[in-house]
Amino acid sequence: MKRTIRIKINGEGKSLLVNVNQTLLDVLREDLELTGTKKGCNQGECGACTVLINGKPVSSCSLLAVKADGKSIETIESVAKEGQLHPIQIAFNEKGAIQCGFCTPGMILVTKNLLEQNPNPQIDEIKEAISGNICRCTGYLQIFDAIKSLAKS
Amino acid sequence: MRLPEFEYFEPGSIEEAINQLEENSSCTIIAGGTDLVVALKQRLQNSSSLISLDKISSLKTIVNKDETVIVGAMSTLDDIINNTFIKEKLPALRKAAWDIGSPLLRSIATIGGNICLNTRCRFYNQSFFWRSSREHCFKTGGNVCHVAKKKSSCVSTFSADIPPVLISYRSKVKLVGTNGVRVIPLEEFYSGDGRFPNSILSGSKEILTEIEIPIPRNNLKSCYRKFRLRESIDFPLIGVSVAIQFNGEKRCEDARIILTGAGSGPVESEQARGMLLDKKLDTNLISNAAEAVVSEIYQFKTALVSPRYKRELAKVIISEAIKEVGGF
Repeated sequence: MKRTIRIKINGEGKSLLVNVNQTLLDVLREDLELTGTKKGCNQGECGACTVLINGKPVSSCSLLAVKADGKSIETIESVAKEGQLHPIQIAFNEKGAIQCGFCTPGMILVTKNLLEQNPNPQIDEIKEAISGNICRCTGYLQIFDAIKSLAKS
Repeated sequence: MRLPEFEYFEPGSIEEAINQLEENSSCTIIAGGTDLVVALKQRLQNSSSLISLDKISSLKTIVNKDETVIVGAMSTLDDIINNTFIKEKLPALRKAAWDIGSPLLRSIATIGGNICLNTRCRFYNQSFFWRSSREHCFKTGGNVCHVAKKKSSCVSTFSADIPPVLISYRSKVKLVGTNGVRVIPLEEFYSGDGRFPNSILSGSKEILTEIEIPIPRNNLKSCYRKFRLRESIDFPLIGVSVAIQFNGEKRCEDARIILTGAGSGPVESEQARGMLLDKKLDTNLISNAAEAVVSEIYQFKTALVSPRYKRELAKVIISEAIKEVGGF
């Protein structure tokens, strides 16, 4: 069974014919070829598939694509503008907050949402914000450092 | 793993949803879908069609009416957490919502979905491939329990965080079906049977539309404590909701202690309740009450820890929870 959905993807309005049994992650990776969003556990436990829906972070593997109808979706591809890395990406690079890079798209998107809501997060707030994103390389300390370095004060 | 084939409906009203529920023999209601999508991927759920409640806006409101708060079943956990009235008057509900999953799931998971959450077991919540090496258990339609070989029924564990809190607040749920509307205390929604843990999973062809929570009186203190192996994205090994109504002399006028992770449904400790009634809290009484609750936790190893470990943990979190409501 197929259905047409209208979504805004990284600022661009699109009308897509999707299978009702596709998750949003499947549509992003396979139909739109936006492979920056990763498939990790595919069960909503690891956060590698994080995207921002109407500004809020969501596990796209747990959401049917039809449920995203009418929503605005941002993926990691929208973060760098005109070939210039976003300050969050620069901070992650400089602090060694990336190793294998598989969790990084999700980490960067939840950081983007966190800093928009709270420009000066404390360490507990940082931990809470990334509590849905698992990193098996860094031990998280470098990620905390990168996010702390972006705090306004 | 990919999702199986199914049809998908998005009714615009409750009446339309009920009609579709009646017309389709093998269909399932999908709320946020954070648990159901995984169950479908693991082929734990076989539904030829899904009925989404997304387009029914009346199910997404949170309003105060007389002495109650009416929460629409499709309110997300984030809606619960960010509601200022709930934050002030129903702090245990906010805490339980906060303790579920992760921020990435709470933005789509709903309160109704958590109330209807299926029970869990280490032999059940596995991929189809993993499960294919053993014969079907009671939960998947077979005739054996891999956890308790001598049992003649399923002992899977109730793992939802929100229902214990709602029960401790004496909440009711509204269920709408072709035979009309019924409003029942939430505890009556649960069967205690691991295979069909609640009326909807038993096939009642009803839709949970709203939750009515009485606004607590001044001296009602409540809290929710949860213990899990990981500090986020995990179901409770054991969770407890404590609500105590104190009178002017700080005696317990009413007390409810409800557990999750302790049986195939929410478990209320009548024994501990009896011990607390008309008494002033002190540390001895609290540890005796916690001991009494622990005796009511069932003995089956449905999670990755032993029942004995779970009972020791329960003693600690129950004592802490009673101390917190008592202001210790």
